[in-house]
Amino acid sequence: MNAMSPTPSKKYDLDFARWVYDNVDGGDRMALCMQCGTCSGSCPIGTQMDHGPRKLFMMIRAGMKEAVLTSNTIWNCVSCYNCVVRCPRQVPVTYILHDLATVAVREGYAQATESDNARFGKAFWWSAAKYGRTDERLVTAKYYFSFGFGEGYKKGMANLPIALGMIKTKRMHLGMPHKCKNTGELSKLLKKAAEMEAKKHG
Amino acid sequence: MSDTTPRSRTILVVGGGIAGVTAAVEAAEAGHDVVLVEKTATLGGRVAQMNRYFPKLCHPTCGLEINYQRIKKSKRISLFTLSSVATIKGGPGAYTVTVKTQPRHVKPNCTACGDCATAAETEVANPFNYGMDKVKAAYLPHTMAFPMRYVVDPIVAGTAEGEKIKAACKVGAIDLDEAESSFEIEVGAIVWATGWRPYPADRLTAYRWAEMPDVITNVEMERLASVDGPTKGRIVRPSDGAEPKRVALIQCAGSRDLNHLAYCSRICCLASMKHAAYVREQYKDATVDVYYIDIRAHDKLESFVQRLKRDPQVRFVKSKPARIEPGPDGNPMVCGENTLTREVYAEPYDLVVLATGMQPSLAEDDRPAIAADFDDYGFVFPEGESIGAGVSTGALDVSMSVQSATAAALKAIRVVSAG
Repeated sequence: MNAMSPTPSKKYDLDFARWVYDNVDGGDRMALCMQCGTCSGSCPIGTQMDHGPRKLFMMIRAGMKEAVLTSNTIWNCVSCYNCVVRCPRQVPVTYILHDLATVAVREGYAQATESDNARFGKAFWWSAAKYGRTDERLVTAKYYFSFGFGEGYKKGMANLPIALGMIKTKRMHLGMPHKCKNTGELSKLLKKAAEMEAKKHG
Repeated sequence: MSDTTPRSRTILVVGGGIAGVTAAVEAAEAGHDVVLVEKTATLGGRVAQMNRYFPKLCHPTCGLEINYQRIKKSKRISLFTLSSVATIKGGPGAYTVTVKTQPRHVKPNCTACGDCATAAETEVANPFNYGMDKVKAAYLPHTMAFPMRYVVDPIVAGTAEGEKIKAACKVGAIDLDEAESSFEIEVGAIVWATGWRPYPADRLTAYRWAEMPDVITNVEMERLASVDGPTKGRIVRPSDGAEPKRVALIQCAGSRDLNHLAYCSRICCLASMKHAAYVREQYKDATVDVYYIDIRAHDKLESFVQRLKRDPQVRFVKSKPARIEPGPDGNPMVCGENTLTREVYAEPYDLVVLATGMQPSLAEDDRPAIAADFDDYGFVFPEGESIGAGVSTGALDVSMSVQSATAAALKAIRVVSAG
């Protein structure tokens, strides 16, 4: 047989599955996946995922690293844990998807760093790390303006009525952002954690 | 130094299903005395509750009939129904076993005429049909009961109705004063043929068996299809008695699932093929969808699957459904992902059958402390003096249970013949 594979240009990394089993949070349990489809069927937004967890796991096994790390499945998970509860092999699907998202960002995949959820995640983390709290106004502003000034202004104005409604019903406060008691200690703690993580992935 | 402990050559078989009955007759026909203890009022166990066997779709009545004949012909088998093992002392070759017997309230001179049932008014849930219908408080367990003797439910003992039932019996077989009793026996070996029970479907909360009447289990399907079942053999929806046009069969409902039964129950795939055949025999225009992870039809039974696959009205969907939801018209809607097409579906059905698995009968607190070892799932681990027959040792179909029971009889014979 000398026929070409259907997509000869596709890059496969045959060590990828093993790497995921060993390095991704919950990856060791992923090795037990039997492709039953309970996860993708349980997913409340399964129709909005390009692949869904089951197929993504199969793609990991097939070594389709690039396709996996540029998939929207890892970003669209809403952490409802339906799949984790129902998985007959007790695979922590949610952890795996979130950790794969981190890998995608770390490895600099454009689809990952520019996705809506990655932008929001970044804004959320910025506020959490800086104040020890998330401030609705700052998180949304940071997220909106990550698209550029013009786009950010447009998004902000579009959501202004919602913000005003929230202020009226006291769901959003005016004034200084909420902070935890000792932000200095928090930043030391996070610095240490980042050091430890860098060592692990070094 | 010689062993002076008196040894018994009697074999105790615990459980009167197909495995227990087989082990008992095989040991007895090989020349050993056998005591057969059965918890319910009749022999036959789960096999008697089946409509037909796969793959030939023959009725279990004929196999049971042959074995009942063998018991009747044998002078070596002592049968105790409504009895269970309470305590065991001693060791291989010399066990002292206490057997507890629940009252039947009907003496052996019963002629099974049925006059008591006619006189009875109170109705009790019928365990033979998994509670899908009711029987009178004086009842014959089922048409293939052995011994062929009625049972009076203790609920009517001491009531006016009880006296009426007693008066109706022409041969004076009713004894409402019978109480629980126990006796001791000396045996040399014990064969555990304690069998299985269907995995409780109410634990599969995502499949809503407890809430939705038209979601049933595979064992309930067997009763629906049986002529002596609650619908006299017509497969109809329990909610409204209508003929189902679209039927879904869901495999691995609880089996191969670390949250439920970690193992494959082995028989459910073939049992579902049989259910597809039942539906297609009764309804020419009905369609059947089989939802599966992979079809496990071992050995020669593959041909039975192929036969069903040739039927254009039987569709195979490679998917473990995630959940069952009530549809807009109240009918069950099966939701999940088709793993071959990656399509997320929500299909409405008239009737959904869950292929629930086999769980060993002996619950943690009923397990004997000696004379048996158990694996992590509660199945008898057969080694040394721990002798298991049939499904007590793992999920098996009927023919494999019979083979396992014959092997168990031989092991028991070796234990009682040693020394």
